[in-house]
Amino acid sequence: MKMLDQQDEDSADTEVTWEDQKNINAFSRLNMRIQNLEEAYEEKKKEKEYLDDLSSELELADEDELIKYRVGDTFVNLTLDATQSRIESEQETLSKELEQFSTKIDGITDEMSKLKVLLYKKFGTSINLER
Amino acid sequence: MAQLEANPRGIPQAPFVGKVEEFTTESEVEGTLKKFQEMLSKYKYMETHLLQRKKSLESKIPDIKKTLDMVDFLISNESSPEPILTQYELNDTLYAHASIPSPKTVNLWLGANVMLEYSTSEARTLLSQKLGSARTSLEQVDEDLEFLRDQITTMEVNTARVYNYDVKLRRLRKEAGGK
Repeated sequence: MKMLDQQDEDSADTEVTWEDQKNINAFSRLNMRIQNLEEAYEEKKKEKEYLDDLSSELELADEDELIKYRVGDTFVNLTLDATQSRIESEQETLSKELEQFSTKIDGITDEMSKLKVLLYKKFGTSINLER
Repeated sequence: MAQLEANPRGIPQAPFVGKVEEFTTESEVEGTLKKFQEMLSKYKYMETHLLQRKKSLESKIPDIKKTLDMVDFLISNESSPEPILTQYELNDTLYAHASIPSPKTVNLWLGANVMLEYSTSEARTLLSQKLGSARTSLEQVDEDLEFLRDQITTMEVNTARVYNYDVKLRRLRKEAGGK
């Protein structure tokens, strides 16, 4: 942790109003939220990549071959067509969810930048807002 | 100073220190700091608790979803005359072939060594309900976690300010005494 030198300490405004406290709390809360969202986003992205790989592999698959597709925890023998349509609909759902996540993440990043400006203005070196 | 209220699940709100001088006199600083530390550790304990609950909910939800997917699949295949060919998990790494002819009922494991037979549509309703309530609980836990985070931040800021105030006072006193 960085220690302030004496001059900074004297000039540092030690008065924290309720407004400031609310802003600090909001920043901390948004930080927590964005970390959770980014984790979930990465996971969904991985899932979507798996599905994309799958669908490209299936294009080369034999038409008559039954594919063991995992539903829940068991495998079900499905025709190529049925498998492909299931994969397509899952890909769509995932894309929509990924979009929602990234819009939320962008919104939160914006809010955090605004709060940063406010808080740095009031507290300058007395506060650390970087991750 | 803000009033001490509680949030919907009964978590008390942390006191906010407006002006340090008004909140505590010089002699009480140590006692105040100790009290703050106590409250802070209580909040952190609650946070750990909630994080555990959140983890268990987060693992339950995909399980319910998988079961629901399977039931949906069975419902969508009800009309087809052919039996469904599956490989299911007999044991951890052991699978077996099964042929399921037009399923009309499923058995749902309800926990506590209880399993009940349901028609596929009833099963679907039950599972969707369970999924819905699990998701609502998760939302509540998230809300509580955010509220706790606010209180913990407030307490930490309070502690820092009281401590700084004390350091400043001691320095001023020392300078005044030295002159």
